[in-house]
Amino acid sequence: MQALLVFLAIAALSLLASSPALDPSRFPSLARLAASGFLFLLFGVVLGPSVVGALSVEDLGHLRPVMALGLGTAGVILGLNLEPRLLRLLPRPVYAAALAHSGTAFLFVTVPLAAPLLLTSHPSLHAAVGAASLLGGAASLSSGHFAVLAYRAGRMDRARGLGVALLTMLDDAVGLAVLAVALMLSAAPSAGEGLGLVCLAVLLGILCGALLAFLTHAMNDPAELATVTLGMVALVGGAAAYLRVSALLAGVACGATLALVGGRTVERVARALGRVERPVFLVLVFLVGCGVYTRDWAAWALVPGFVGLRFLGKVLGGRIAQRMASGVLELPPRVGYALIAQGGLALCLVAEYQFLVPGGLARRVLDVVVVGAVVNELLAGPAFRQVLTPMKPRLAPAAVDDVEVAT
Amino acid sequence: MKGAVTRLLLLMVLLAIISRAQVLRADSGTSVTLAAGALLLCGLFAGKVAKGFGLPRLTGYLLVGVAVGPYALGFIPGEGVKGLDLVKGLAVSLIALVAGTELRLGLIRRVGARVALLCAAVCAVTFAVCFGATLALKPVLPFLTPLTMPQALAVSALMSTVVVSFSPTVTIAIVQETSARGSFTEFLMALVIIGDLLVMVAFALAAGMTRASFGGGFDIAGLLSGVGWELFGSVVVGGVLAVAMLVYMRGVKRELPLFLVGLSFAAAEGGTRLHLSPLLVSLAAGALIVNLDEREGERIHHAIQRAGLPVFALFFAAAGAGLKLDALMTVGPAALLLVVLRGLAIWFACRRFAPTHDPRLKEYLWMGLISQAGVTFGLAALVSRTFPTFGPQVEVLIVAMITAHELVGPVLTRRALTASGEVRTDEAPGTA
Repeated sequence: MQALLVFLAIAALSLLASSPALDPSRFPSLARLAASGFLFLLFGVVLGPSVVGALSVEDLGHLRPVMALGLGTAGVILGLNLEPRLLRLLPRPVYAAALAHSGTAFLFVTVPLAAPLLLTSHPSLHAAVGAASLLGGAASLSSGHFAVLAYRAGRMDRARGLGVALLTMLDDAVGLAVLAVALMLSAAPSAGEGLGLVCLAVLLGILCGALLAFLTHAMNDPAELATVTLGMVALVGGAAAYLRVSALLAGVACGATLALVGGRTVERVARALGRVERPVFLVLVFLVGCGVYTRDWAAWALVPGFVGLRFLGKVLGGRIAQRMASGVLELPPRVGYALIAQGGLALCLVAEYQFLVPGGLARRVLDVVVVGAVVNELLAGPAFRQVLTPMKPRLAPAAVDDVEVAT
Repeated sequence: MKGAVTRLLLLMVLLAIISRAQVLRADSGTSVTLAAGALLLCGLFAGKVAKGFGLPRLTGYLLVGVAVGPYALGFIPGEGVKGLDLVKGLAVSLIALVAGTELRLGLIRRVGARVALLCAAVCAVTFAVCFGATLALKPVLPFLTPLTMPQALAVSALMSTVVVSFSPTVTIAIVQETSARGSFTEFLMALVIIGDLLVMVAFALAAGMTRASFGGGFDIAGLLSGVGWELFGSVVVGGVLAVAMLVYMRGVKRELPLFLVGLSFAAAEGGTRLHLSPLLVSLAAGALIVNLDEREGERIHHAIQRAGLPVFALFFAAAGAGLKLDALMTVGPAALLLVVLRGLAIWFACRRFAPTHDPRLKEYLWMGLISQAGVTFGLAALVSRTFPTFGPQVEVLIVAMITAHELVGPVLTRRALTASGEVRTDEAPGTA
């Protein structure tokens, strides 16, 4: 019945999100939240155990398989985007620039917030470091959807829009690496054991990715291809959840392996996954929202610090990135303001962390990042205007907010 | 064929590695998603292997489910398979929706009376034979031995009612797989559907009698209202669903497979909660749609056919994984005797009472009536829940029978359709 409730809620929200009631000209913030999927996040918070209670903690426990499926799917899609040929073509300054903006935000958030986490939660030192680094990891991520929408609508030069999008894509690697480190520190009694679990997740993903490449090799029937793809995504996410290792990391390893060895199949698999990407993402963010505990005042107290420090980190990191990538990558002036939107991967990271590291600290991290992500999404619109230089629009301005984005 | 075998073996090796790796962890996490992915993939390739051997794909789905499931190799934990009940409900609803779209008014007018008469005859003969056999086995069946004669009569009647039931899911899946079309196929499908409706009514009556024989009192009003709610309530809810679907299909016109999956999911879950028959709800919805708007009925048929492959593969592989092989061992002889007697009774009834205008009905129809699956499982579970003193043992016996029927039934159904000459193609892309 819980699953039915979730389904009905998602269906209702999907209709709401696509209805004229959310007219971007009348409710720009709400329309932006709907387009990025974060409206579902808020709806999850409201329906979750700590507000209305339509879904209890026990219900959320029953919905863990759905969460594992969502994290696995997100991971595989991320991994498939790691196009080896493209990555090899990128010059070093681009990597350095991506690392600069994400690394600065990471440090700006991790270092100052480690102390309050340690003091308010009384965990062990390495657990606090793990939690703080995950907050930093979530802060390091950015979403390039504003840039993509802007260049599609002709409000930004295409090269600059793609430059921002490229930077935000590369910082995903930082977030995933931080998740791996945080899990090493917190998901097992010792760091060595934690490392073993991370390696197990990656190994599982590599095996599944190689097998998926073999299974789909020379498969021509689209229905069969879609079935095998979905089956393998469920298998990799499910196996990771069963072994209590990271479904997200296993998924990324699976997708990356497929991208490496899959050849012509990769595109067809990506297309098959593309059809389920948005519904899966919406269900996932809804469930992440349900996991928020709104009565944790210490988490609320951390949110301004998280948002403010991240903002500063992104603005400063953006400046450094611009300097590093000058002459190689075309970036807009004040690029840091284009990196304020946080995106869905940050939610995946904290959901995975809470999945594998039970306890109040992981929940607090989730609360801070979820609330922070919504605030950042609302801040991102006005911040992005600082980046835009006046240009002649190539498309009708109304098209700007009509485009749906998944993350 | 060779490629499918290699792929299946590789998948099983991966599952073996995962189940071995689990030993490293002190406690495991949720296994439902693992079960879903593994059964879907294994089912798909096992279906291809089965096809290579000239068997229905469905048999491949079932057999691989048995093999990797908790009662054989144990690669998939029992909790994972149990957690897929939701998927099973969804599959039954989708299958019933397709079956409903086959029930056109013209067909019902044409063969309705003949099907109903033959169905009543087959059910009556099979019931009589199984009832007699069960009663005769009273001294050796542990759950019947301690009962008084009236109680034994009631329990035998209850069990025989369940044993009579057919499997619309298997029949429809095989019809989809083979793309069979024609009067024989129509007759067979109508018969299994009407047969299950009869069984549902008979089951409610037999359960009431059994309750009375154990001192619970014979509540005729309660009995009739229960049966009435299940039958008419299901039809009414099905009608509402049909209207919702037609409105959506005429108004929205996009993402139809996704919408149908969602609605079937709601029908399965909601129907169970409201004590309705999800099968009947979806059946009524499908029938109403096709009779109100034939073009939209066809659209539903094709949309489900496109989404059918993963649903069927997962449903039947999960059904296979849930088959308790140990039950087959403990009550094997009695179950096998009942399986043989049921088969003989169905064969005899078809030979004796099938309409004479089509000789194929007398010859091959019985083969299409052997399968048992979802409805029988559901009724057996209901017996177990309603009568905790003897119900669980009855369930074990019936599940053992289902195991045997699941393994031979699909093969026989396909043989019946092939022998009737109505199989159009052996490989419809994207179908079960």
